[in-house]
Amino acid sequence: MDSFLSSIYRNINLTVFVREQGGQFKPCSPLPDWLVFFLAKQSDLGRYNLVEAFPYLSCFIEDAEQHWQAKYSKPLSSGVWIEIDELEHELPLEACVMWVDGQEVLLLQQLGEKYTHDLSRLQQVRNSLLTQEMLESEVKRRTLEIRKREEEIAIKLVSLTSLRDEETGAHVRRIGLYAAVMAKALAWNAEDIDTIRVAAPMHDIGKIGIPDRILRKSGVLNDEEFNVMKKHTEIGAAMLRGTKIPILNMAADIALNHHERWDGTGYPRGLADEAIPMSARITTIVDIYDALVHERVYKKAIPEEEALNLMREMAGRHLDPHLLKLFLSLLPAMRRIRLEVQEVNEEAQEGEVLEEICV
Amino acid sequence: MVLQKKICLLGAFSVGKTSLIQRYVNQLFSEKYLTTVGVKIDKKQVTVGNTALSLMVWDLAGEDDFTQIRSAHLRGLSGYIVVIDGTRQNSFTVALALHERVRTELGQVPAVFALNKSDLKDQWLISHEQIRTLAQLGYPVIETSAKLGLGVEEVFMGLARQLVPEKVN
Repeated sequence: MDSFLSSIYRNINLTVFVREQGGQFKPCSPLPDWLVFFLAKQSDLGRYNLVEAFPYLSCFIEDAEQHWQAKYSKPLSSGVWIEIDELEHELPLEACVMWVDGQEVLLLQQLGEKYTHDLSRLQQVRNSLLTQEMLESEVKRRTLEIRKREEEIAIKLVSLTSLRDEETGAHVRRIGLYAAVMAKALAWNAEDIDTIRVAAPMHDIGKIGIPDRILRKSGVLNDEEFNVMKKHTEIGAAMLRGTKIPILNMAADIALNHHERWDGTGYPRGLADEAIPMSARITTIVDIYDALVHERVYKKAIPEEEALNLMREMAGRHLDPHLLKLFLSLLPAMRRIRLEVQEVNEEAQEGEVLEEICV
Repeated sequence: MVLQKKICLLGAFSVGKTSLIQRYVNQLFSEKYLTTVGVKIDKKQVTVGNTALSLMVWDLAGEDDFTQIRSAHLRGLSGYIVVIDGTRQNSFTVALALHERVRTELGQVPAVFALNKSDLKDQWLISHEQIRTLAQLGYPVIETSAKLGLGVEEVFMGLARQLVPEKVN
């Protein structure tokens, strides 16, 4: 053999084999010392079963066969595998097959430094990916913590109004859960679903600024009183506005707009159609539903079917007809919330329902 | 008679595939994370009932955007262990994708899910819901710690038992 070529093979740790009939491989270049260890168990006739010596090649040989049969001269790589030599060192190996001058050729290379270099580069990349993953998890964990605190504050705010008007704690919780079901059906992202769940219950928070003589009046409000009562939308919005907290921003929108009507006859600004924020349109629907089907000190509950008929009549006038249609399609979920979130043991019940919404 | 079976460990990078094999085959563990490039094959003899098995344990490089498992590596596969790092959400997603890929390419093959790093359980981000999802796939789900050697034998033996036909045993 040409000593010049042999020298090159040795320097790049490459051995050239030609496959013979019967599937044995005959080396066409000198066997390097490291390779002798792996082939030592086989006959010394100068022909070797490489698949037996290197079990990894069992997954490659099928592709190699096809490559040779197609007589491709372009090399096909096996991918890298690791063997352990007689000194317990790891040897990174790679095989390539090709068709050369009518012969089925297999090149076996010990990758050495090239492998070490690639490994080191990949190690660095993966270490940074791990750090990045860890940081992202930490950010997520802290964001959840902040969100939980925001929720606690929001719930405290809502409880302030509950002390003054006749709405119950269960009612405001249900409003949030109904709204979250609607938001999920509308394919809102998880964060926004969570936001409306907490923001919707604050829709009447402005009632805190309405005098008791009006807020707690048992009879019908006169025009002057009603005009004062209407102010709760703007008071609520003013209370909630002006922060960078998404829950409070959405809550401000809802508080301001939940008495707007689809046909533009609502208050305080007479907005119509989609000019009314969707969060408010959703809250209006679920608030009306819950108020109708539950008893209050000033009114009796009405049967659900009757309530739904009333709401259907409101479609296109008071209520967004598309969202109402969606609400009606979600009635089984709404009923579950209505039945399960009652005054007793509210937190536990809400937890269970919430888990289902999240799933 | 010794039955020779090829099994693979699959999973995202750095979930502990190599560590589990090292613990199982050589009773060793290293804290240092050394990424795997390429494939390393270890052998382990086990006995299931009256059947001797020679497990060819293929340690495949972890999956990420830079490294994809070759279909050829799955050829002749008798079973596989999908490894998830309980402290990393991403590893759960990768595990399910890999499991689905094997099912698509090979059909129903014996498998076990290893929830690794149980020694760091206070830092786990995998939820109970996700663990329930895994269990519903119908394969054993076993918590492991390559570091402490917990559950390691069970994972490999859990797979080995599935590899022995009942009539042989």
